[in-house]
Amino acid sequence: MVYTKKSPALLIIGVVMLLWGWLNASGNVDGMQQYLQKSAYSDHKQVKEKFDAALSAATDKAAAENKPAPEMKMPHSKFDSAKAFQSKMSYIFGGVAALLGLLIMVWKPKEGNLDYYISIFPGMAYMLLIAFIVRWGLDPIFANWGKAAQPTLGWNFASIFNLNYVVLGIVIGIVIVNVFKIPDWAANGVRTARFFLKTGVILLGALYSATELAQLGAISVLMIGVFVLGSIGVVLYLGRRMNTGNSMTAVLASGVGVCGVSAAVAAAPVVNAKAAEIAYTIGTILVWGVGCMFLFPTVGHLLGMGPVQFGAWAGTGILNSAQVAGAALAFDPHGIETLKVAEIFNITRVLFLPIVVLWLATWYVKHEVGAEKVDLGKVLFAKFPVFVLGFILLFLLSTLGAFTPAGHYQGKYFSSEQIKEDKLLKDKETKAIETELARLKEPAGAKALQDHFAEKAINIGQRHATPEDAYKGLADLIAAKKVTTREQEVLLKAVAKMKGFEANAKKAVEHAGKVAYHSSKTIGAFRDWLAWLFSIGLIGLGMQITMAALKQAGGTPLIIGGVVGTVKAVGSLIVVLLFIKEFV
Amino acid sequence: MSEQKFARGTSLSIFVSDRREDIGSLVFALLIAIGIVLFVGQ
Repeated sequence: MVYTKKSPALLIIGVVMLLWGWLNASGNVDGMQQYLQKSAYSDHKQVKEKFDAALSAATDKAAAENKPAPEMKMPHSKFDSAKAFQSKMSYIFGGVAALLGLLIMVWKPKEGNLDYYISIFPGMAYMLLIAFIVRWGLDPIFANWGKAAQPTLGWNFASIFNLNYVVLGIVIGIVIVNVFKIPDWAANGVRTARFFLKTGVILLGALYSATELAQLGAISVLMIGVFVLGSIGVVLYLGRRMNTGNSMTAVLASGVGVCGVSAAVAAAPVVNAKAAEIAYTIGTILVWGVGCMFLFPTVGHLLGMGPVQFGAWAGTGILNSAQVAGAALAFDPHGIETLKVAEIFNITRVLFLPIVVLWLATWYVKHEVGAEKVDLGKVLFAKFPVFVLGFILLFLLSTLGAFTPAGHYQGKYFSSEQIKEDKLLKDKETKAIETELARLKEPAGAKALQDHFAEKAINIGQRHATPEDAYKGLADLIAAKKVTTREQEVLLKAVAKMKGFEANAKKAVEHAGKVAYHSSKTIGAFRDWLAWLFSIGLIGLGMQITMAALKQAGGTPLIIGGVVGTVKAVGSLIVVLLFIKEFV
Repeated sequence: MSEQKFARGTSLSIFVSDRREDIGSLVFALLIAIGIVLFVGQ
């Protein structure tokens, strides 16, 4: 069988990519990019303003000294970098596609390896071109629309419905296969989708570190552990009872148990899930989450829950990160306490992903074999998805600090040593803190601080912080002009939130905390890579979801997802009401 | 897609088996990881 189809498609895709690269490099699409890259463009305007002021000052100075006007180059803004990145990607992949496209036009393929591997490129280029459109076009367009509609709707629909490249990629794939069909010349290459998805899942391991778990409160780890593993167990049980199919059940278990869409995507290749099953799981999670997002704040207010309780409940019961944040903000629009607690619970949930992936892989292999009496060890060795080991390996390396300091979460880490000289507290700021420290040591201030600690129960390490810890933390901050430990940063941030804390001192404390956190370039690169791999993989995956496949999967996943979601929400509500107030 | 007939691989993969696909993606991911560590640094 000869796979390579003589078609100008790959050449056309290459030319389109090259054209996009040139349009970006020459600035011909700047107007469009200013709309698409709104936040990067606002950074660009700031950089330009600063540069213009510096240039004007330097020119005036040179004129006053009778010297020629200085030559200055504007520094690169995020907007410039984003455009340069698009240009570079388009030139590289467009160039390769155009060359191979030309080859396909003039070459007479013969059956064999060369024909087989060359025939894969048109399909890959097709998915990549759509990925360009989704990531550089549709994703920012929906983000802009979501923000624009927020004042009217009161919530960001793009963020709540997860209308980012993950969902949009699958939807576009579904539209293509059901409306236009996959062209013959692309059919072979589209079969690489799962390979890219698996590669992305392996890289996902690098984003998390187990040491982050140590930073989180023991109660959140325990509570989330029980609910994550418990809900997975319930889905697996219900799925078997209702004959939903092993792969469908396992994907749904991961999605409902861990963190929604990304967990479903991560678990899918582990259990050989069909594309339609992933689509159903994502649909179930998103629809369920949207309902919860509106219902949770109302129930929270009716029950008179505090911010910590509500945050813990939302972080446990709601599945999607954006929806957790949406519910927390809907409950408490002006304070960030609820959001913070919800995020801590959310992060803990995500950190259970490696355990869940391993569990599901083993469960799936065991149940696929069926009722036959077999040697489980042998079956696992033969059937275990080896790429999961890659995911675990990168997770372990990330935990050991091979990529970035070990105590990071998705690349954000605390480091006092890396604070630059110009980011240290200024004299004015340390004075403001000094004055506030003196006030807090006076009887009225000390009482206010005592009350604040009694109300908030701030944890440092494994114990509650005391006012003495706050005095020491503030004194150390004044002496070092920066925070030196993560515990100190957490403590002082909480102290600065107390009522009556002087505004300038508060700003200084917050500034000191903020500059101690850094973004890892390595983890950023991992995130970029996996976003592209997921993007391509999910578009290809969407192309396997025909209407017939959706009908075949049926509505059972919706029922199981709904039942488990409700049990989890009610169960976590009871636990939160009984225990959280005292311990968190 | 599922109606497509391919002499090699399956309807969902260009690889002859899941294990081959796993190993392929493992190698590809490790190459990317090594590249990131070498060229991006910490």
